[in-house]
Amino acid sequence: MAQEKTYIEDIERTLYDIKNVDKSKYKSQSGLTEDIIRDISARKNDPEWMLEFRLKSLEVYNQLSLPNWGPDLSELNMDEIVTYVQPDAKMTGSWDEVPEDIKDTFDRLGIPEAEQTSLAGVGAQYDSEVVYHSIQEDLVKQGVIYTDMETALHEHEEIVRDHFMKLVPPKDHKFAALHGAVWSGGSFVYVPEGVHVEIPLQSYFRLNAAGAGQFEHTLIIVEKNASLHFIEGCSAPKYNVTNLHAGCVELFVNDGARLRYSTIENWSRNMMNLNTKRAVVGKDGVIEWVSGSFGSHVSMLYPCSVLKGENAKCEFTGVTFASKGQNLDTGASVIHCAPHTSANISTRTISKAGGKATYRSAVKVTKNAPYAKCSVNCESLMLDDISRSDTLPTMDIEGDEADIGHEATIGRISDEAIFYLMSRGISEDEARSMIVRGFVEPIAKELPLEYAVEMNNLVNIELEGTMG
Amino acid sequence: MNKEIFSEIPMRTWNWLGVNEAVVDRDLLVESQNLDIKIEADHQEKMIVEYRKESYGIVNINIGENASLKLTQLQLMPQDCGHVNEINVVLEKKAKLQLVAVETGAKSFASKVNIILKGDKSQADVSLLYFGDGDRSLDMNYVLEFQGRKTVGNLEVYGGLMGASQKIFRGTLDFKQGSKQAKGYEKENVVVLSKGVRNRSVPIMLSGEDDVVGNHAVSSGKINEDKLHYLMSRGLSPAEARKLVLEAAFNPVLELIDDEALRQEIDSYIKERLENE
Repeated sequence: MAQEKTYIEDIERTLYDIKNVDKSKYKSQSGLTEDIIRDISARKNDPEWMLEFRLKSLEVYNQLSLPNWGPDLSELNMDEIVTYVQPDAKMTGSWDEVPEDIKDTFDRLGIPEAEQTSLAGVGAQYDSEVVYHSIQEDLVKQGVIYTDMETALHEHEEIVRDHFMKLVPPKDHKFAALHGAVWSGGSFVYVPEGVHVEIPLQSYFRLNAAGAGQFEHTLIIVEKNASLHFIEGCSAPKYNVTNLHAGCVELFVNDGARLRYSTIENWSRNMMNLNTKRAVVGKDGVIEWVSGSFGSHVSMLYPCSVLKGENAKCEFTGVTFASKGQNLDTGASVIHCAPHTSANISTRTISKAGGKATYRSAVKVTKNAPYAKCSVNCESLMLDDISRSDTLPTMDIEGDEADIGHEATIGRISDEAIFYLMSRGISEDEARSMIVRGFVEPIAKELPLEYAVEMNNLVNIELEGTMG
Repeated sequence: MNKEIFSEIPMRTWNWLGVNEAVVDRDLLVESQNLDIKIEADHQEKMIVEYRKESYGIVNINIGENASLKLTQLQLMPQDCGHVNEINVVLEKKAKLQLVAVETGAKSFASKVNIILKGDKSQADVSLLYFGDGDRSLDMNYVLEFQGRKTVGNLEVYGGLMGASQKIFRGTLDFKQGSKQAKGYEKENVVVLSKGVRNRSVPIMLSGEDDVVGNHAVSSGKINEDKLHYLMSRGLSPAEARKLVLEAAFNPVLELIDDEALRQEIDSYIKERLENE
C-alpha cells in the first residue's frame, strides 16, 4: 500500500495579495534610459553628484552581463519595468495624514499596531517612496537618526556621500548598477557612539503597482560600542506581469558595535527579487543576520559580511521555503579579513510542489586573517519528489591557522522519527507537525516574537494520511 | 593564453571564487592514453593504474550486473611536469566499485572522476588522498551521480597541504529524480601545514528526489597541537611529530592499497617531501 506523503500547505497569501487601485501620482515610462534617470533625479531634487552617480551607474549597467550562474533571469525584460512610481502621498510622521487606502494596507500588515507595542520607530514605503516615518523622541534626544533616504541625502549629505554604495559599488554586478541608477526610497539609520537602541526599528516595503520595480536603499551606520536591532519586511500583491525588486542594504558596524538585521521577505510569486545586502564589521563588532525567504518567483539573495576588524563576528540564521513556481537561490557569504574573526552560518531550506531551493555560500579567509573560525551548517528538507534542493557552498582559505568546518544534510521526514514519536503516544499528524516545526525552530527562535508568529502562520502545516 | 577548460562543476557559482572550471594547458590535452575496461556480470576484478610520466590518462569503465572492481589509481609524477587524468564509470545493477586514488605528484595536475550509479543497488566507495607542497597546483573534480534505486555512494577525501601549494577539490553528490532510497556521503579532511597554502573546497549536493539521504562535511585546519605536543613529549622532533600525525591522517587511504611496495613508495615519497619543506 502506497504511503501518503506529508502535506505541507502552501503559504497563506490572502493578506498580502489584496491590491489597491493604482492611484500613483506619477509613473516613469517603462524601460531604462538616460532621460528616465534624469527625470527621476530631477523629481527627487538630487544633488548634482547623485545625478552623476546615477548616470555613471547606468553606463556600468549597460556594460555588464547577466550573471552566468544562478536562476534563469531571461523572463526579466527591463523594457517592461517601470522603475519609478510616485504614490499620491507625501512623507509624514502621522498615520492620520497617510491616504486611507495606503494606511489600510499597512493596517492589514499590522505595522501601526506593531509600532504601538514593540517598535521604537517605523518607516513605511509604498511603491517608490516612503510615505510614513517615525522615531521615538528619546532616541532623537540621544542623537539617533532614523529617516527616509531622500531626507538623509539632503539633511545629512556628507554622511550619505561618504557611505552610499561604497560597500556595494555599482560595478559589483548588473543589478547593483541598476540600483545605483534608479534607487528610490529606503531608510537611513545613524546610531551615535555608545547609544543602545533597546527596541527595534522597522522598515516595511510594499510594492503595489503592477509591472513596477522597487529599488529602496537602506543605509545603517552603528558607531563604536552602539547597538541596534533593525527589522525589514516586504510584500506585494500578485500580478500577471513581472515585478522587480533590486534593493540594496549597506550596514556599517563600527568597533565594538552590534547590529541585528532581521528580514521576513514575502514578495508575491511574480516578483524577481534580486537584492544585495552587505555589512562591514569593525574590531570586536558583531553583525547578526536573521533572514526568512518565503515569497517571490525568483530570488537571488546572499547577505555578505566583511569582517574587517580583529575579533569581528558574524552570525547568520536563515530559512527558505520554496513552493510551486518558485526558484529561491539564497545563502550567505563571509569574508574574513582580520585575525581572530569568527562566523557561524546556520540555514534551513524546505522545498515542495515543484519549488526549487538552493543554498549557496562562500567563506573566504584571507591571509590577513589568522585564527579565523567559521562554522557552516545547512539542512534541507524535501517534501516531495517533484521539487529540487541544491546545496553549493564554497570555502576559500589562505594560511594555516584558520579553523573551518562545513556540514550539510538533505532528506525528507524520516519514517523512523515518525514511528518513534508515535510509539511515545503522539499521533502521526502531530508527529509530522512536530518534526517540520522543529526543523525551522532554530530560525523561529531568533525572530522577534511577532515575526516568529508570522513565520508559523507562513509555514501553515496541514497533515493527512497514515503510515503505509 | 594556451589554456583549455578541462572540467566544470555541475552547477556554477560566483565567478570571483574561481572554482567553476578547471583550466589546464592545452598541450596536455592533445594526446590521451585511453583505457577501456568492461567487467562482465558476476565477475570481480582488481586493477592498478599508475601515472609516472607526463600524460593525459582516460579510464572508461563499465561494471556489469553484480560485478565488482577495485581500482587503485596512483599519480606519482615527477615534480616538474603537468598531468591530467579522468575516470568515467558506469555501474549496472548491484555492481560495486572501490576506487582508491592517490594524487601526490606533478607540478600541476587536474583530475576528474565521474561515477554514474545507474543500476539499482549499485555502490561506489571512493577514497582519495592528495598531498601538495612547494608551489604545486592541485585541481580535482569528483561527481557521484545517483540514478538507480537504493544506490550508495561514499566519497572520503584526506588531504595535506604545505609550502605555497594551491588546491581545489570539488565533490558533488547528485541525486537524480527516481534514485529512491539512495544514500550519499561525502567528507573532506584537510590538514594545513604552512601559511602560504591556499585551500579551496566545493562540496556540492544536488537533489531532485526527496527519498534520499545525503550528507557532506568538510573540515580544514592546522595540525592538532595537542597531538604534536604529546609526541614531542615522547622524544620526537617537531618534524618527526608532524610526519607521524600526517601519516595517521592519511592512513585510511594508505591501508587500502594492497601492494605493500607501492604503499611504502607513497609513504616514503610523502616523508621525503615533508623533510625537504
